Amino acid sequence: MTSDEMTSGIDTIHQSYLADRRIRRIWKFVILLMTLTFGVWTVDVLNIPIERVLRMFGPLATMVTERLMPPDLYYVMEPLILASILETIEMSVLGVVGGLLIAMPMAWLGAWNVTPNRNFIYPMARAVIVVARAVPTLMWAILLVAIFGFGPFAGTLALLKSTIGFAGKLMAEQVEAIDMERVDAVRATGANEIQVFFYGILPQVKPAWVGISIYSWDSGFRGSTILGFVGAGGMGLYLRAQISVMEYHTAMGLITAVIGLVILSEALSHYLRHKLY
Amino acid sequence: MSDAARVENPLRPGRVILRRYAAYLAATLAVLAMAQQIIVAETDWARMGSAAELLREAAAFLPNLAFMPEVLFPLLETLLMALWGTAMAVALSIPIAYLAAKNISPFYPLAYGFGRGVIVLSRSTHEIIFALLFVSALGLGPLPGILALGCRSVGFMAKTTAEAIENVIPGPIEAIEATGAGPIKVFLFGVVPQVFPIWVGNVIFQLDINLRRASILGLVGAGGIGLMFAEKMQMLEYDKAGSVVLGITAMVIVGEYFSNRIRTRLI
Amino acid sequence: MALLEISQIRKTYATGEVALRGVDISLNGEEVVAVLGLSGSGKSTLLRCINRLVEPDSGTVMLDGVNITKLNKSALRKARRNMGMIFQEFNLVERLTVLENVLSGTLGSSGTLRSIFRAFKPEDVKRGMALCARVGIIDHIRKRADQLSGGQRQRVGIARALMQRPKILLVDEPTSSLDPKIGAEVMDLMSSISKEDGIPMLISVHDVQLAKKYSDRIVGLQNGLKIFDDRTATVDSESLDRIYDMAS
Ligand SMILES: Nc1ncnc2c1ncn2[C@@H]1O[C@H](COP(=O)(O)OP(=O)(O)OP(=O)(O)O)[C@@H](O)[C@H]1O
Ligand SMILES: [Mg+2]
Repeated sequence: MTSDEMTSGIDTIHQSYLADRRIRRIWKFVILLMTLTFGVWTVDVLNIPIERVLRMFGPLATMVTERLMPPDLYYVMEPLILASILETIEMSVLGVVGGLLIAMPMAWLGAWNVTPNRNFIYPMARAVIVVARAVPTLMWAILLVAIFGFGPFAGTLALLKSTIGFAGKLMAEQVEAIDMERVDAVRATGANEIQVFFYGILPQVKPAWVGISIYSWDSGFRGSTILGFVGAGGMGLYLRAQISVMEYHTAMGLITAVIGLVILSEALSHYLRHKLY
Repeated sequence: MSDAARVENPLRPGRVILRRYAAYLAATLAVLAMAQQIIVAETDWARMGSAAELLREAAAFLPNLAFMPEVLFPLLETLLMALWGTAMAVALSIPIAYLAAKNISPFYPLAYGFGRGVIVLSRSTHEIIFALLFVSALGLGPLPGILALGCRSVGFMAKTTAEAIENVIPGPIEAIEATGAGPIKVFLFGVVPQVFPIWVGNVIFQLDINLRRASILGLVGAGGIGLMFAEKMQMLEYDKAGSVVLGITAMVIVGEYFSNRIRTRLI
Repeated sequence: MALLEISQIRKTYATGEVALRGVDISLNGEEVVAVLGLSGSGKSTLLRCINRLVEPDSGTVMLDGVNITKLNKSALRKARRNMGMIFQEFNLVERLTVLENVLSGTLGSSGTLRSIFRAFKPEDVKRGMALCARVGIIDHIRKRADQLSGGQRQRVGIARALMQRPKILLVDEPTSSLDPKIGAEVMDLMSSISKEDGIPMLISVHDVQLAKKYSDRIVGLQNGLKIFDDRTATVDSESLDRIYDMAS
């Protein structure tokens, strides 16, 4: 190749590159314009007056500086509140333990590589997990309260659902990542499906499942703190009551307590996970 | 069992096994005690009535399919709230991630501590609590809902972005520095391309999660389809409440499907 | 006066590791100088002290009459444009295209607004393409850098350094991450570019054969000290062997 040929070759590439860049720029501009139009349209659909957005900072600042601060932590120390906190913890433990007892078999049945039946059991188990994840827990709790009445029983059942969705998915993912040769080795001894599960699958996923279980409790506990909002037991009841009567300092005390407990539960689950591995 | 099998396992002396079983037993008893408290003592079984009655009550929630079209607009509203809430979280998360990334945080450890504090606060407060606070300050509507979503998910966004920044590979950054580029260009060419795909994945993940969150905010007056659910429950139109739940479930499943598809394609 | 004049450079890392114990090197005109030394002898540290990617503890670096070690941040950035660096691990930005990686060599002099939009000047783009053609990667300019082979990546690294129009090339073990055949191709390429464009190179290697084949002069480093400095043509193999024997 002579140097002239090379130069003209570069020229062609350069021209086509610049042309492409021009087209890309036009596209970017069009997309930007469409995004902006879409943004304006959404504000219209949501019916949010702009002047309300502009005027919101004052009230927000007042809320933070005057109404929320300082949190009233003495309120949290009242026996009634402490009892509700205990009830929250109990609910979370029961709901999560129960949920895990259902999630584990669901994870086994809903894992493509080991499911005993791919045409019927697998899709059923998957559907249970997917639906349990998709139905909002708080609404589920409201439905349960309507059926079973106020109290922590409804809350426990709500947590049961969210644990099945949460842990079921993660556990099934773990099962799908196992070493199938070890499973087949157990199967080759003539073991039935249940035995295959206990000797071929469970030993492989046990550490991961333990971690997921602890994680589920952590997440379940977070969820349980607000179930009382809809009458499904626990401390959320008082939080809602305090906010609705505009007792913001006590409400903030409860929120502080929730945050403290959540951080504590996270630390505990972190500790347990590290200790158990 | 043969005698050989009964020989004590040297790796696990009997004492340890015993202690372990004692722990299992204690845990089981504790759970049973809680069950007694929650399920037996605090539940009004008499009020509930027979299983048949319970089933009949539950059946009242079966979705009314004819009502489904009316669910569509509130669902759209919910989706838009999730979009705006995520956008707000994304915008706020960038400066917070900057403060909370150990390797670039200025005035260490002051700004770092602040950034981490915001992250913890955001991640451990339920969206409903944020929504209640914003509704009480600003009144009803989707605006407090959007703010609640933003506050709720800024922590996750900032945390994952900060982690991505902490994990950037230094080599390319050095190479850009060696060309004589200043800090802004080093960030744009050395850091951003490394962090961007992780970041986009997390934005989509948050959008998916915020869709779920947005659907319940209406329960406390913060906009979206939750409001419709609350109204139908109040008017005892259980079949319509069931339709709302069906609509949300469908939307969330579709959202999760797309979120997973896009995220696996990004990697 | 020499183009590059390094004197009494010392560097002790924060970890307490003493990397350089006072090294002098001068490099003039169009030389290719090989810095030869075993792993850990301080080659990379020395090269990085020149453009101050690593801040030397003491000593001076003069490039073309400018005292690099005295410069403040913005003046240092300007001075860095004159020094193209090529890395052992290539250090490309994997998620950018080959062309964008090459063009990032202009970042020292291009406007901030342009860099935000990655909108490089058309004439820079053209020069970048010409460089890509010269190093033999013109067919790959739109690929992402992580899709290239090792040899191709190092060619991108070379083009990026040349994009700066450097007065000198600082090359840190350019072939250690490549297999010998590809490594030789890369060395041939660099050495011909250096000759044609009259750009001097300071190039660190740990392979005696490479040093002998491609350099005009060899500087031996050991434990952070210069232990010899000789023209390649007249270097005696014994002293070369000495470096290796003593350290191994
Ligand atoms: N960032 C750093 N922090 C602490 N010590 C370092 C650092 N970089 C290098 N060192 C130490 O400084 C000494 C010289 O290292 P340098 O990387 O300059 O050697 P080198 O000759 O380039 O070796 P190689 O052939 O392995 O690249 C070594 O003892 C090394 O452990
Ligand atoms: Mg080195």
